[in-house]
Amino acid sequence: MNRTVLFVGVIIAAALVVILFVGLGKDPSAIHSPLIDKPAPEFSLREVGTNKTVDLTQYRGKPLIINFWATWCGPCWEEHPSLVASARQLQPDVQFLGVVFQDKEEKILGFLNQRGTAYPTVVDEKGKTAIAYGVGGVPESYFLDAKGTIRAKFVGPMNGDIIQENLQKVLRQ
Amino acid sequence: MLPILGRILILGSLGAAVAGAVLGFVAGRTLSLDGLKWARRCAWLYAALIVLAGVVMEVALLKHDFSVSYVAQVGSREVPTWVTVVSLWSSLEGSILFWGVILGIYIAVATYLTRGRYPEYQPDAIGVWLSTAAFFSFLIAAPANPFHTMPNPPLDGNGPNALLQNHVLMAIHPPFLYLGYVGMTIPFGFACAALLKGRLGHAVLKPLRESLMLPWIFQSIAIMLGGWWAYEVLGWGGYWAWDPVENASLLPWLTATAALHSIMVVERRGILKGWTVTLVQATFLLVILGTFMTRSGVFNSVHSFTQSAIGPTILVFLAAALLFSIALLAFRIDKLETEGRLEGTASREAMFLVNNLLFVLLTFTVLIGTVFPLIVEAMKGKQMSVGRPYFDSMVVPIGAALLFLLGVGPALPWGRATSDQTRKALLPPLIGAALFTLAGFALGVRSGWSLVTLAFGGYAAQVTIDQMFLPMMQRVKRGESAATAFVDGQLRRGRRRFGSYIVHGAVVVVIIAIAVSSSMRQTAERTFTKGQTHRVAGYDITLLGVDEREEPHRLSTIAHFTIVKNGKHIATLEPRMSQYPAMRDPIGSPDVYSTPIRDLYLSVANVDPVAQTATITIYIAPMVFWIWIGVIIMGIGGLIALVIPSVSEAPGRAVAAEHEIETVRPPPRPFAPARGDK
Repeated sequence: MNRTVLFVGVIIAAALVVILFVGLGKDPSAIHSPLIDKPAPEFSLREVGTNKTVDLTQYRGKPLIINFWATWCGPCWEEHPSLVASARQLQPDVQFLGVVFQDKEEKILGFLNQRGTAYPTVVDEKGKTAIAYGVGGVPESYFLDAKGTIRAKFVGPMNGDIIQENLQKVLRQ
Repeated sequence: MLPILGRILILGSLGAAVAGAVLGFVAGRTLSLDGLKWARRCAWLYAALIVLAGVVMEVALLKHDFSVSYVAQVGSREVPTWVTVVSLWSSLEGSILFWGVILGIYIAVATYLTRGRYPEYQPDAIGVWLSTAAFFSFLIAAPANPFHTMPNPPLDGNGPNALLQNHVLMAIHPPFLYLGYVGMTIPFGFACAALLKGRLGHAVLKPLRESLMLPWIFQSIAIMLGGWWAYEVLGWGGYWAWDPVENASLLPWLTATAALHSIMVVERRGILKGWTVTLVQATFLLVILGTFMTRSGVFNSVHSFTQSAIGPTILVFLAAALLFSIALLAFRIDKLETEGRLEGTASREAMFLVNNLLFVLLTFTVLIGTVFPLIVEAMKGKQMSVGRPYFDSMVVPIGAALLFLLGVGPALPWGRATSDQTRKALLPPLIGAALFTLAGFALGVRSGWSLVTLAFGGYAAQVTIDQMFLPMMQRVKRGESAATAFVDGQLRRGRRRFGSYIVHGAVVVVIIAIAVSSSMRQTAERTFTKGQTHRVAGYDITLLGVDEREEPHRLSTIAHFTIVKNGKHIATLEPRMSQYPAMRDPIGSPDVYSTPIRDLYLSVANVDPVAQTATITIYIAPMVFWIWIGVIIMGIGGLIALVIPSVSEAPGRAVAAEHEIETVRPPPRPFAPARGDK
């Protein structure tokens, strides 16, 4: 038996398997946002279908869920009913706000008329707000506490449980 | 109906593989010919059942039978038929089934071609092949079952991942990759069989080399197709990002390339036997590692399939395969007796050795860069990624050193050479080095590494051409006509040698093209309004307009550009931004005007159909074209070297044909007679 081969082989193999084993179970798409526990970037955007401007600061005083979405995004369709249902249940203690980017006014209105809504939706026309929040794609949601600090971020379509779970992170602070 | 049929076929294939593996190993111990016969039958049965299962899945996809869970997941009535066909490998479960199908074909062909020829090695080889097959059938049967019955079949589905629908290269790249990846199982079987027998005799080198060469060709082309696809689809103007999964496809290729070279040293000198089987085993293990990487969710990448329970299952198999390989090596490597010894430092075999060490160094460099983020995260809990700078700064020098060897190695004779011979062999190609460097400099190459690459490349090119046509030239000198000399010296007796040097020549082309295209790339970003023209690097680029095109499976916003150079219209380019209903992000598709001299590449950064404006990133890179062409020529060279010479082949004949050539340089000692198995 060749002990050197055995020794070197076992060390390389064990190291590799251990590293891969530890890596299992983590979610590589979960990028820790540097914005967590930082004040949310300010914005003031026009509400869809109106000339009314919505300012982020007007929601201070209660938790806020900002949901970035677009009508061309399938997963956004998927999560929309859960968002509306949760909003109906949790408002006015918790505020919901939709931010649409890279989309057209008439498509957004059509979508909301057809599928219903329970909270304001604003249009991020140049995508500047999405960039400020570091949105990588839609849907993506940010959970703010009463002071306007980002406490949690969720990437991908949400359901009622996910909303509750992330909201707990806000309330725990 | 189809889901049940599929499940029965998969369970059948699992049974056949397990039975055949057991029979193979038992026959390997008892040397029972009946056992071997039955192991072979199991191999064929396995292949037939798994291929049929694949056919059943294709039928289900084409019939849009949404009662099959996999069809419900990736099928859609709205996508084009070719997308439906390639959906087989577009998602996790299907891709594992596809893996099984390819493995079935490989095992059937390998079993058929080696029947009755290597009775000593075949039983164990079949045992190893079918053990791997059994594992994959188990994966398909349980954790990655694509044949679940849907209790309430949907009427329509989302279709496969949009990136896969975006370009036809996606229909070609995965099959080539699987043909490369999966094929490495076959040489692994031979290497393990040799270790189990404790002998790597001359007879088994041929199937070992050939079964390694074929997947190597597929793998080379697959890596190139992947790069080409990234270039044509992802829109960042590059073709290689050191993405973990790209690395996963490169790693086994590196060790396989090293093994193809070390096999030659075993053939010629009878040394490096243990090293060679280690490389072949490492190649297979790296293939399994790559499979794990894409399917475990551990690495984030464009290639990743969604997270699933099959990650841990593959990890267990990887650990088992590692253990098996290490145990085999540790217990048997000393039995593979060495028949010769290394002669002199300035000999071809010494260069082969250095080449092998560099390939292994390169493999470790890439492997460490790939898993390093995992180590950091495990120890510090911080996320990080290893970027280009690490890989470029490590890989470029090693790559340059390999290119240097590509010139020096083949120029040196086998065995010990006098210093006079060495000088005569090494000095003339300096002309080629000087020519390439000067030509590059004159054409504007200024980057240091690119000039070094050109010098080494020029040197290697001259050596390669010299060596490539050496047999023909010798025959012509002896008075044969050029035509007979070519057919006889190049295509018949020296075919393997001829093919190998074609591969070398193509590698020179590819490496130079990579160096020049990456160091001389220009980038510009311009915003256009309709009708506006920008001049970039001599191209007049005009936006004709922006329109939207609605197709059943996507909505595209297309910017139409006309390209004029020196007052002449040369191309119309239509980069676009597409939205697929199932995707989180819109997907940009660049458009490329490709010529042998340079590529003009337009990628959409922002496009507005209402205002008729578009912001475009423009890349101009020379020689990119030659990367794709070069790799295809590598594949052709590999095929020429692989296809069995038409002269009737007694054992060792191909080698003998090369001896004839080598004797032109007087060898310091007579060659050992061809070593056959006794």
